Amino acid sequence: MKDRRYIAFLRPPRQAVLGGLALTVLAGLTLAPQLAAPAAGSSTAWRPVASERLIKLPAQYLKKAIDRDFSNSELANAMVDVEDRIKRKRQTLEDLQAAVERAEGEIRTELRHQFLAEKKAYIELAAEQQSLRRRQAKTKIRLYEKLLGKLKREQGALTPQRAALIEKQDAARQRFEAARVQVDTKLFQSTLTAESKYAREYAKNISAIETLVQAINAHPMNASAEIDGQAISKADYLRHLIAEGEADLAIVDQEGAILGFMAKLVSLDALALSEDIDPDAETDLASDEDAPDADHVTSAVGFFVGN
Amino acid sequence: MRHTSRSQAVSPSWLMALLAVGLILAAAVQPARAGTLENMERERAMLLETLLSADMTVEEKQKHIRLSRTRLIDLERMVLRDKSLTGRNTPRVRAAFENYDLTFLIHASTEKNRSLLDHWLAEIGVSTQTLMNARAGRR
Repeated sequence: MKDRRYIAFLRPPRQAVLGGLALTVLAGLTLAPQLAAPAAGSSTAWRPVASERLIKLPAQYLKKAIDRDFSNSELANAMVDVEDRIKRKRQTLEDLQAAVERAEGEIRTELRHQFLAEKKAYIELAAEQQSLRRRQAKTKIRLYEKLLGKLKREQGALTPQRAALIEKQDAARQRFEAARVQVDTKLFQSTLTAESKYAREYAKNISAIETLVQAINAHPMNASAEIDGQAISKADYLRHLIAEGEADLAIVDQEGAILGFMAKLVSLDALALSEDIDPDAETDLASDEDAPDADHVTSAVGFFVGN
Repeated sequence: MRHTSRSQAVSPSWLMALLAVGLILAAAVQPARAGTLENMERERAMLLETLLSADMTVEEKQKHIRLSRTRLIDLERMVLRDKSLTGRNTPRVRAAFENYDLTFLIHASTEKNRSLLDHWLAEIGVSTQTLMNARAGRR
């Protein structure tokens, strides 16, 4: 029943269709990532802003805030949508593969043709997904670089003269704090010198301030980011996130190469079909050694080899 | 009748303009608020003037110094705790933090166990030794 449904899609001049398919796959799939980008269009936008609010966020919440912003974007919706379509396409490929194995003769050939067309559609979807992932990684890297630049500018705004002044002010405060008790004892031991209103009120307030400062230091939003248990600065954390983004990009590029090989196999299969070569004579390269992740592009390799 | 309608048409905008000008003038004539550093420097100058004054009796001097010292203790602490001065790169702030011993006179003198006048004179480079070594002469 299922086989008949697939056959219904076929058109009479099979050789011409197969030849066309091979050409389309060869020409189109080498350009797949480039073609997929405009297809994604402006409706899949994610334009995060390197705002002051983001810079002021504690390092470990920075990534969470950016991830949350991304999950609310059109790009995230598009990625979920493409992932869903890929899952359905993979199911179709599985059904077709099973049908090809069961079928014989003319029906088998027709199903193989249909299988090829579906594989091409799968590659296009995977290319679209990669394009979206590439855009996500690039946007993240760009955002982290902007944040890092702003952070550097803020820290580098200190002129040598101003830095020296701050250093002197810190030294003065340290000297004052170190000698404060000694000074208090000497100054106020005399009955002639009474404590002023300012001194009394300040002492009263300082305990409240210390309690609040302790609470601030213990607050999770104030904790610094950690990598391998080591606390790191915000700038270091941003550099770490940029490196992660670059790694994502490199992986997407590598997966692009996998898609290219898949496309080449589809085009070779199409050529073989157009020449009426027996599929059993093809090299059986299928291997399920590593049992890849079901959502990963490598999990679809089995559809492309040995059919 | 004509005059009344004209004045009704013009008056709201004129009123607004007058109000704006009034607000600007009011803001301009407000007295400038001295900061903690300026207040401390004024108090310190008065204290030094009292210390060096030859016109007061000992009792008067002691009374003035006691009052001034109490105020100066607070003012010095206010300056040291004033966050708004951190990194404010103005000549006055730079000069103030250039020499802790001269700026925070009360704290520094108490810390060094010296009387106020001795401390100040020592910090500006006048000591018993230098005075003893000095010779009267013509420049």
